[in-house]
Amino acid sequence: MKDFRELETEIKKASDKFTDIESINEFRIKFLGKKGIISLEMKELASLSGDERKQNAEKLNKIKDSVLEIIASKTEELNSEELEKKLNSETLDITLSTSKSYGTIHPISQVIEEVITIFGDLDFFVAEGPEVETDYNNFTALNTSEHHPARQMHDTFYVETETDGMPNVLRTHTSPVQIRSMLKQKPPIRLIAPGKTFRCDNDQTHSPMFHQVEGLVIDQESNMSHLKGCLEIFLKTFFETDKLNMRFRPSHFPFTEPSAEVDIGYTKKGNQLIIGEGEDWLEILGCGMVHPNVLKNVNINSNEYQGYAFGMGIERLAMLKYGISDLRTFFDSDLRWNKHYGFSPLNIPSIIGDLS
Amino acid sequence: MKFSYSWLTEHLKTNAHFEEIEKKLTSIGLEVEDIQDTGKAYQEFIVGQVLEEKKHPNADKLKLCKVDIGKEKVDVVCGAPNVEKGMKVVYAPVGSTIPVNQMKIKAAKIRGVESYGMMCSEYELGISNEHDGIIRLEEKETIGRSFSEIYGLNDIVIEIGITPNRQDCLGVKGIARDLASAGMGELLERKISREKGSFKSPIKIEIQDNKICSAFAGRYFRNVKNTESPEWLKNKLKSIGLRPISALVDITNFVMYDENRPLHVYDADKIDGKIIVRTANDGESFLALDEKDYHLKNGMCVIADEKKVLGLGGIMGGESTGCSTGTKNVLLESALFDEINTAKTGRNLSILSDARYRFERGIDPNSTLKGIDLATQLILEICGGECSEVELAGNIKENKNEVSTSSSYISRRLGFEVSDKELISILSSLGIETSQTGDVIKCSIPSWRQDIHGEADISEEVIRIKGYENIPTSNIRLKSKINKNILNYAQKKLMKARHFIASIEYDELVTFSFTDSKNCAVFGDINKLKIVNPISEELDILRPNLLPNLLQAIKKNKNRNFDSFSIFEIGSQYRSTSPEDQLNVACGIKSGIKTEKSWKNMQTEFDIYDVKQDLTSLIDYLMPGNKKISVSNDCPSWYHPGRSGSIKINNSVIAGYFGELHPRVANQFKIKNKTNIFELYLDELPNTEKKTTNKPVLNLSDFQIVTRDFAFVIDKKVKSEEVVTSAFKVDKELIRNVEIFDLFEDVSLGKDKKSIAIKVTLQSNEKTLAENDIFEISSKIIKSVEKSTSGTVRS
Repeated sequence: MKDFRELETEIKKASDKFTDIESINEFRIKFLGKKGIISLEMKELASLSGDERKQNAEKLNKIKDSVLEIIASKTEELNSEELEKKLNSETLDITLSTSKSYGTIHPISQVIEEVITIFGDLDFFVAEGPEVETDYNNFTALNTSEHHPARQMHDTFYVETETDGMPNVLRTHTSPVQIRSMLKQKPPIRLIAPGKTFRCDNDQTHSPMFHQVEGLVIDQESNMSHLKGCLEIFLKTFFETDKLNMRFRPSHFPFTEPSAEVDIGYTKKGNQLIIGEGEDWLEILGCGMVHPNVLKNVNINSNEYQGYAFGMGIERLAMLKYGISDLRTFFDSDLRWNKHYGFSPLNIPSIIGDLS
Repeated sequence: MKFSYSWLTEHLKTNAHFEEIEKKLTSIGLEVEDIQDTGKAYQEFIVGQVLEEKKHPNADKLKLCKVDIGKEKVDVVCGAPNVEKGMKVVYAPVGSTIPVNQMKIKAAKIRGVESYGMMCSEYELGISNEHDGIIRLEEKETIGRSFSEIYGLNDIVIEIGITPNRQDCLGVKGIARDLASAGMGELLERKISREKGSFKSPIKIEIQDNKICSAFAGRYFRNVKNTESPEWLKNKLKSIGLRPISALVDITNFVMYDENRPLHVYDADKIDGKIIVRTANDGESFLALDEKDYHLKNGMCVIADEKKVLGLGGIMGGESTGCSTGTKNVLLESALFDEINTAKTGRNLSILSDARYRFERGIDPNSTLKGIDLATQLILEICGGECSEVELAGNIKENKNEVSTSSSYISRRLGFEVSDKELISILSSLGIETSQTGDVIKCSIPSWRQDIHGEADISEEVIRIKGYENIPTSNIRLKSKINKNILNYAQKKLMKARHFIASIEYDELVTFSFTDSKNCAVFGDINKLKIVNPISEELDILRPNLLPNLLQAIKKNKNRNFDSFSIFEIGSQYRSTSPEDQLNVACGIKSGIKTEKSWKNMQTEFDIYDVKQDLTSLIDYLMPGNKKISVSNDCPSWYHPGRSGSIKINNSVIAGYFGELHPRVANQFKIKNKTNIFELYLDELPNTEKKTTNKPVLNLSDFQIVTRDFAFVIDKKVKSEEVVTSAFKVDKELIRNVEIFDLFEDVSLGKDKKSIAIKVTLQSNEKTLAENDIFEISSKIIKSVEKSTSGTVRS
């Protein structure tokens, strides 16, 4: 039997010489291998008897544990030194980069989606109609007879097909959707109808194609004050402002009576337009109470039902909100413009998140 | 409609400040579009007196003057021949702007002598063409007084927009009446004497068609002198931008703008026989006052004599009976022409005139004789002569509208309480007479308001006069929803498609719905898409396809130095110009550089597999869940026949295409790069609206997954998809996935052969697959693929 104290000194001596994993392995074999010192001592325990065996076994096990402990901690130490060395050699130039580009949503689509979001929250559904319309739906049903002076102001595009003997037109406004919807659905009605509209006019401030959104509410009680309330919520939410100077003034549309044009206040700070504040006025939309003749044309009893309608230009809303100065650039397909004014595809307008 | 403030005050007695009136005009629906303060423009010009006048030392034609302008005495160099000592002049100080040429007066040395300011001629001030000398004011004028006061230029010119319903405000009097109703003062009635006339008009009037002209009043004047108009009349017309012509013409213009009553004067000596109001004969032509020849058509209303056409009723007079300075005897016309007929004729002949503008909006029938009276008074006063009795053909029907309403109706429409008393008071201020029986208020609409037909119109009058600013604001949120969905399935599909496509790098464009027929023969039947009155030749049809405009966009941006394009549009294209022939399409283009050459990547270009992937993943996004997508070669003619495919979903109709643009079409659009496109016909996608919110049951297996690779040599023309499907169908349960991982073409394989390698993933739900199970299924796969592709497995 070896002197355990001697053995402990030997272990200590050997453990001071570790330089790499290999030397730890040698150390392990020397003490714990099949023919290692401790293993052999273990075997010898069998020849002892009684108390002596018990005492020695206890001591020997303690020594064995300390060896295992040394192996574990030294291995960990060396591994971590190794890793440190490796990490020091593994460097990349983080100033290099690759790029990922996203597509863009056109401002017209963005604004239409914003408008839908706001009115959707107020329980308006989205109605549609075709871009080629019948003369009847575009004018006559909207209380605009063939020779009404208002028709001349519309600069209508005509096409070669006809309906009921009248040439079809490219709709000059989204208002014919009112007619189509009221023929399909009985009140109560709350709808908006965004879409393309066309007028034969092309200059700095006119484009032959543009977009409008129509609004229509028909029920038993909606009146001018509801119209005002409706537009106030819409404009405040759309322009993302709590302050909104809004002015209603009389105007004329054949399909509404009373009719109004709505202006909003603005000021200019440098090149920036601040919407809502200020004493200067910008015309933003037309509206009014639906004319009883229009209701008559769609077989709705105007003694029982009434309501309001409004229409506004999507481009104008976009220009004012996003500071786009030229109407014609919307349809110019200049990719520099699209990438600048376009919106992220992940940016879906939301009432709970961001509108824009 | 333009008018001056001083003209307005001839009809309106008011204490209101001008700014108040300006605001009120807009608030009652007469929107102020422009204001020009002429008083301000002349404000700096003042009366001066020449104290000394001597020769300029260095110039023969110039004089050195000392001018007293009240607060000081200034030196002015002057070139006018008529300047002399003691003369009262109009002095323009340093800093003022000369109206005629917008020249700013500066202190300057003229031929070596200092000069401060200028003495002005009428020409320089923009008052007349008189430029022979400077203005000589009367002796009595006070030095330092404002010149604009002396010349009656202290005025403000207002331009308002008149909506088509407000014909009554196309005369200054109507505007005054509306302002008076809105509390801006009191309407003044112009005193017009009613001349009886001393003889019967020698020119008889006959109306042949009373539908186009219901009344025609004529008055003959003899021995008039058609002079230049007096200063007040000329100034009035000039103030609203009209050119004075001669007294007779100016008087008719004045009455038109004052009373909204168009008139016409004929040189009576040039009329042959009687006046006949009739419809034109086809082929008749006539030389109008605008010196243009018009070819007339049956149905147009003409004023003729027994030999010729004299004028187009309600639109324009003719050259043949125009009045000149030599005119002695005239016939004055005041008539009632039909609105629709006037509008039609004017539109057909493209004549815009002040008379047409008024007649097509409707003229107060009561103005017919009033207009004659006012014009008579002015003609006699300015041109002298004698007038005949008024000759009236036809009937002046007052057709007064009667409308019944109630305060409860008005209140319900406007959204606040309007009492009977308030209602009646507002209506009476507008000249609407009322009588009340119980709740019903009967309104008698005055003849000048042709636009008020029903109760709704009354509600507008009430709120217009009360002020739109007094409408309260009410909450519109509902207690319970009335619409189940905000967007329907199809609308949601469009919105989803837009965001998805943009998320895979495409920029959304919005292009015109029109396009150039010259580029479109390949895309559709251009004859069915024509616009009758296109904005330009290049935008003459509705687009049969989204591509032409997108291809043009590529061309344009290529010129802006772009070399990589990922663009798309979602919008409508048209099969014909019938309302129902409009389809919703998403069209994307990827062309040019896909990845730029960089430190990390080689440069690569887009190919058809990029757009195919985009299209199929778009379909996957729009139609989640199981579906069968099949691809075949039948593409429309704008695709490269060998590099394009059509996509069918669940073996139903074709929902979309992808491929390379046909080189011939690319050439037509002058595009050199390979252009890869996809089109998705959104309306054709089968409806897969969710019926349940539950997802399909998920069965997961924890048994081992095994993969095996196979390679087959097959004919080049056999589609690789065949390999995949024939492998798949061997065992639908065990085979979890089949993927092509290699494509190899080489002569060593044999002529027109290719090698396709697939990786098959196997997994059972019941056990770990044993070697013999795998062997068995592998042989089945080989057999199945070899059979359906006539190929052989490579070993």
